[in-house]
Amino acid sequence: MNTLHPRIRIVWILRAVVRAGIVGAIAAAVAFFFELSPFIPIGIATVALVIGIVFALLRYRNWGYVVGDDAIYLERGVLTEVRTEVPLVRIQHVDSRRSAFERLVGLASTVVYTAGSRGADVTIPGLTPEAATALRKQLKALAIAADGEDAV
Amino acid sequence: MKLAPVSVPYRVLQKASSLVITVVLIASFGAGAQFGSLGFVGAIGGILVLTLIYEIAYYRRFTYELTDDTFDLQSGVFSRREREIPYGRIQNVDTTRNIVQRLVGISAVNIETAGGGSTEAVIQYVSAAEADRLQQEIRYRKRDVAREDERTRGDRDSAAETDARGDDERPEIDEEVLFKIAPSELALAGILSFDPRVPGLLIALFTGSIPFVSPIIPTTGSTLVFIITVGILLVGAIVLAWVVGALSAIINYWGFQLTRSADELRYERGLLQRYSGTIPFDKIQAMTIEDNPLKRRAGFATLSVETAGYAPGQAGGRGSEAAVPIASLDRVEALAREIDSYGTPSFKRPPKRIRRRYFARYVMALGVLTGILYTASLFVDAAADIPWYLPVAGILVAPIAAHYKWLHRGYWLGEDHIVTRNGFWNRETKFVAYYRIQTVLDTRTIFQRRWNVATVVADTAGSLSILGKDCSAIDIDDADAVSLREKLTERLNDALADRRAARRTNASFQWLDGHDDADLSTPAFERRDPNQSDDSAETVASDEPANTTDSTEPARPDELEPADTKADAETTDFDDDVDADNEEADTNGTDSVDNTEADHTDGVDDAEADYTDSVSDTDEPANGTDKN
Repeated sequence: MNTLHPRIRIVWILRAVVRAGIVGAIAAAVAFFFELSPFIPIGIATVALVIGIVFALLRYRNWGYVVGDDAIYLERGVLTEVRTEVPLVRIQHVDSRRSAFERLVGLASTVVYTAGSRGADVTIPGLTPEAATALRKQLKALAIAADGEDAV
Repeated sequence: MKLAPVSVPYRVLQKASSLVITVVLIASFGAGAQFGSLGFVGAIGGILVLTLIYEIAYYRRFTYELTDDTFDLQSGVFSRREREIPYGRIQNVDTTRNIVQRLVGISAVNIETAGGGSTEAVIQYVSAAEADRLQQEIRYRKRDVAREDERTRGDRDSAAETDARGDDERPEIDEEVLFKIAPSELALAGILSFDPRVPGLLIALFTGSIPFVSPIIPTTGSTLVFIITVGILLVGAIVLAWVVGALSAIINYWGFQLTRSADELRYERGLLQRYSGTIPFDKIQAMTIEDNPLKRRAGFATLSVETAGYAPGQAGGRGSEAAVPIASLDRVEALAREIDSYGTPSFKRPPKRIRRRYFARYVMALGVLTGILYTASLFVDAAADIPWYLPVAGILVAPIAAHYKWLHRGYWLGEDHIVTRNGFWNRETKFVAYYRIQTVLDTRTIFQRRWNVATVVADTAGSLSILGKDCSAIDIDDADAVSLREKLTERLNDALADRRAARRTNASFQWLDGHDDADLSTPAFERRDPNQSDDSAETVASDEPANTTDSTEPARPDELEPADTKADAETTDFDDDVDADNEEADTNGTDSVDNTEADHTDGVDDAEADYTDSVSDTDEPANGTDKN
């Protein structure tokens, strides 16, 4: 089982900070409007931040993936654990991408697309850019080797 | 090719009428609109002229063409667009004609492909004859493309032989009527379609208009009179809802007919607006049989078929239109088997302990409801008299509800299909062929983990699963879930390998004489490539041409029965489910209950045993058993 790059926690924590900021801002606006104590929005934002950080850490601990012979296997989730198997024959295309936060800490993600309606795109975050590119190429080669017929 | 010329005035009227209505509305809201005034008439005239010009331009710009391997479409007045849709990618072709269009003799054609949020090609409008021709022509060309494909994939030397088949040869497609709605079924479909929106609407109207209605209700009389009046109104609303639902169902499904040709399903329906469409067998993603307690009692069910195309008639509601609205269960099952032959499901239920979870869930819901009512009765004066303790009585019903929820839940792994069943009030039995699976997920929420259960979802490209109606085995034992997930992936890969092998052999033999001949199956086996492993059994459809690479039934060489496997399967229905609900507990219930009992200890082995058991029950040649 491959784990993600530890720095992904920074990305997720940064996202949690942004989210807490948004929640706090909304709470502050409401508090201002109803003339409530300013400690309420601060409290809400802090709680959101703490929950976000805990989730980020737990998510990191629970994340894992394996590129097997005929399928990619992923394990993730905090409250709801999800294990996905993506058969290589079903891969439609593969992206590697880098968000702003990811670029900040020097990471990248690989996104695998299938024709399915539900898990249609499976993201593997927390890869170094080289690893993301390598994974993309590996998956491409595997998908071609798997010789999927019409994917739908 | 161009659109039908009549479509120009039709589209002008269609567009202009809505525009004119908008203008009239705006004008009537605007200060002092003079409807007779020159400006007003001029505005409407201007709109008409502008739409006419636009529509003429649209008509001139809109061309389509059936090329050798794509359907080409050029359209657009301001921004032009050209598309080429490969025949092999077309999911379904639908035509619709509403009553006006039928009078003028035109019809709309929609061509769906997988992916994308909307219909790929909308052709408004061509003559009815042209619409039929398009549907047919695309069907032929798809077949040609599929054959071409197989030829190139297959042995090179077969190419010379197949070339003997003239390209312009159009073997007549024999159509077989699979299903025709009987008047009684249509009536039943009507009776059972209660439209809940109508009473809702009525209540909304009614409460909005209490000041106007209240004089009718005799408030001065005794309470008895009052209650009777309200009762009559209520019954009236329900009857009205029923009538509306019945009428709309009858209008929608009037003359419903499902025909099958070699590689497609074709449906036709509708009284005022006529719908017809085709669904290629090899594009079918999943089938669903739906019923509810009432239908189960009466032995009826609903069948729907999903493709990956964006479901036709989105606006009209959910899912695919190739649904049989209602028919007796054995007819529905025979039809489902005809479309895609599956075995005889014997469902494996979730572990029994899960009933306690459902019970707890219901009790919690009741508790919350009671709490809300109680709080309301404390703080809201008007609600002070509400018997807030009433929901508590529900606790008596909760164990029964929990039991039934459990009873109707289950999954079954067939030879080529996974079948799942969920729901008591609206029970859905979903059939997904292994080779249609896209991804397999197993999920466990924080609550499910407490009970050591999980949910396995077999995701397909079907359009209904967007609505969350997936093929899912809910609340099965954790160990089972893991093994189910692994098994599904494995079987998907095996099924795909089988299909590839089948295609290779088919490609070299199928088109020797260019006809869909059932007898071809035998030579295919005899000439089997010795290098191929036995596992990837050569499959040839017994009564279908090979280019419908869909329901080819895997056959193990040693129990080779080339023909009629399907016919056997049809007669073995799962009768236990025909029975009314209440009996289910003892008839079909008993055997599977025992199974699930054993679950807790050796769930995996049990599933295995279950599977092989039921496979050997059916007369079909069993390939799947090898794989375990």
